[in-house]
Amino acid sequence: MSSTSSASNHRLLRRRHHLPPPCPHLASYLSSRGLRPFRALHRLLRLRPSGRASLRLDVPTCASCGGGSRRLYACLACAVVSCWDSGHAAAHAGSPGHEIAVDVDRAELFCCACRDQVYDSGFDAAVVLSVRSAVAASSGSAPSKKRRQVEYRPWTPGPKERTLVGEGSSPIGPHSPPPPAGLRGLNNLGNTCFMNSVLQALIHTPPLRNYFLSDRHNRFVCQRQRMKRYKSGGGGRGDNSGNEKKVCLACDLDAIFSAAFSGDRTPYSPASFLYSWWQHASNLASYEQQDAHEFFISMLDGIHEKVELDQSKTQDQGKGDCCIAHRVFSGILRSDVTCTVCGYTSTTYDPCVDISLDLDPSHGSTKTGSMKSRVSNGEVESMIAGQNHGMSTLMGCLERFTRPERLGADQKFYCQQCQEKQESLKQMSIRKLPLVTCFHIKRFEHSSTRNMSRKVDRYLQFPFSLDMSRYLSSSVLRSRYGNRIFSFDEENDDHVAGADDDDPNASVEISSEFELFAVVTHTGKLDAGHYITYLRLNNQWYRCDDAWITHVNEDLVRAAQCYMMFYVQKMLYYKASESASAS
Amino acid sequence: MSNDDNSSPHSQLSSHVFENLLNSIIVDIASECHRISRLGLDRNLEEEEEELRLSAQARRRFADSSNSGETNSKHVVDIFGQTHPAIANEIFECMNCGRSIMAGRFAPHLEKCMGKGRKARLKSTRSSTMQSRHSRGSPVSVYAPYSNRAANGTVDEYANGSLEES
Repeated sequence: MSSTSSASNHRLLRRRHHLPPPCPHLASYLSSRGLRPFRALHRLLRLRPSGRASLRLDVPTCASCGGGSRRLYACLACAVVSCWDSGHAAAHAGSPGHEIAVDVDRAELFCCACRDQVYDSGFDAAVVLSVRSAVAASSGSAPSKKRRQVEYRPWTPGPKERTLVGEGSSPIGPHSPPPPAGLRGLNNLGNTCFMNSVLQALIHTPPLRNYFLSDRHNRFVCQRQRMKRYKSGGGGRGDNSGNEKKVCLACDLDAIFSAAFSGDRTPYSPASFLYSWWQHASNLASYEQQDAHEFFISMLDGIHEKVELDQSKTQDQGKGDCCIAHRVFSGILRSDVTCTVCGYTSTTYDPCVDISLDLDPSHGSTKTGSMKSRVSNGEVESMIAGQNHGMSTLMGCLERFTRPERLGADQKFYCQQCQEKQESLKQMSIRKLPLVTCFHIKRFEHSSTRNMSRKVDRYLQFPFSLDMSRYLSSSVLRSRYGNRIFSFDEENDDHVAGADDDDPNASVEISSEFELFAVVTHTGKLDAGHYITYLRLNNQWYRCDDAWITHVNEDLVRAAQCYMMFYVQKMLYYKASESASAS
Repeated sequence: MSNDDNSSPHSQLSSHVFENLLNSIIVDIASECHRISRLGLDRNLEEEEEELRLSAQARRRFADSSNSGETNSKHVVDIFGQTHPAIANEIFECMNCGRSIMAGRFAPHLEKCMGKGRKARLKSTRSSTMQSRHSRGSPVSVYAPYSNRAANGTVDEYANGSLEES
């Protein structure tokens, strides 16, 4: 590694992790030590069972007073160990060049002259690497090719464009702006509010709306193609194949988009869509109140399936290359199972189109089974944001979702390294965020043992702006290592610091900010309830109750009992100006 | 504690050990929080607290919002200045059988028409029109439990004869 790349690597890591500049003592220590000042440290670090790193010393006692187990610091310059509380460490730091020390128990840099903990990416890298080699990870696979991501380049109109737009358009008058485009009621066809509520959210899902309004799925062209194929006999499958190929949910969705944005404000009846959907999901086809979330999943599946039938090859759902439904909603979840005996971690990835979350168990629950042992350093971050006014919150649910969970003794996993079943820790995280994240709150509990279902009415707080970065695999991995400054590669756990800094986590940080644009709520009882959707357009909130569209205050939405929440990546969220007149 | 002359060396030692443990735990947490704060890993803290505050405020303002806005929402004027009947009365053709159906009655009609649902047979060997005549028996008992609004309207309309009769 050349000196320039190492220096630029340091700068990159500093900027990305908002690293404060080093204190003068640390700076002079680093500059006096050359390229890899902490190389020797590698051999001295060891991993504690809790996952924390510390210095490996035979007898950790203060050289001056022999006191043990208080805060001990090992001088980086001469390796002398001194305790802090009796002032020996500060005294030792009096000699020039001996100001920087390492906390023996915590493997943290400490400047005794500044009397403060300091941070350096090279030091953290040494710690992470030694911890990893201690875990004896599986034989390294070839570094996978990173998916090239194009950097987002913002564009603003120049003077030429401005004059062009100014000449070719006329400003809307000073009256109140017209209702936003695409806002149109949907008739209830008989207990179909579950369908209407989800459709309203989808009509205003920015990437989906753009796809259909850009004519990317033209229903007339598609229908002609389907007719042609149907007439020419199709693919020699069973009797039903002809029927399935006649149905295209994407075409019906295209019709709905056209109707919603047509400018006609009289309520629209999504009858064709219902008919097509019932042909696709025959097990759900009955005149009964359905679950909106179940409908959502079924619908996405219907759009995807049609594409597979056409192309007769399975695409990678996680990447979202297969169909618009997955391109918009599909993300990737990562599941880590760590053996508690040897520390070996086995990782699997699964695609998902939404995230279903449990509400926190009711306060005062007597079930001890719901207590999960807490292990990682991630706990501290959630404690900092602890003041939640006594409410259940969406971020609380997400924190629980990504919390390490100790699997019971009856759920032992087979550890490849130990070659036997061991007790393990399981931790979920989000490897790849979708363009649009749909959160589903599990409010309907079905107990098969007692053959009854109930609805949980508890209020759940949800933010209008949401930063998902701490639930990403990169953050969860990082917190597992004590929040060290390091480029954690997610493809495989072994990774060399600084090798791939041109790409990865920088773009992840940008796109982890989300904005809420639709909330589906359920009121009433389990069997006889009602779904409505709140839509956020031009930063105004509209209540969509079947055919009735009304304007509501945002506080009403905040106080509503949410069931499904739709968040879109902030980059794609257009905050149109609220005054209609052109500037 | 350690200054108490009356305590035995044994209890002095145990309280010394306890102090060390407690100290170590406190410094652990302080060190972790210090790192998180210095590296800016909690930079969204203020925005998050603001969201929580706004939600708490909104709840106080709309204490019973989930129930208050529901019952009379069917008779309001929407943002386009329109009013709508409780049961949608747009009429269109069923795409399965071709009959003219009222929008608000479309789903129950389609269920019978397609041969799906509980009352109809799943495997249909007869035409759909013959099937819907057979299952006309007791429409009220099928639909009333599930409909949560305009329950009075449901019974009346069937008694008078719906558009399906034509």
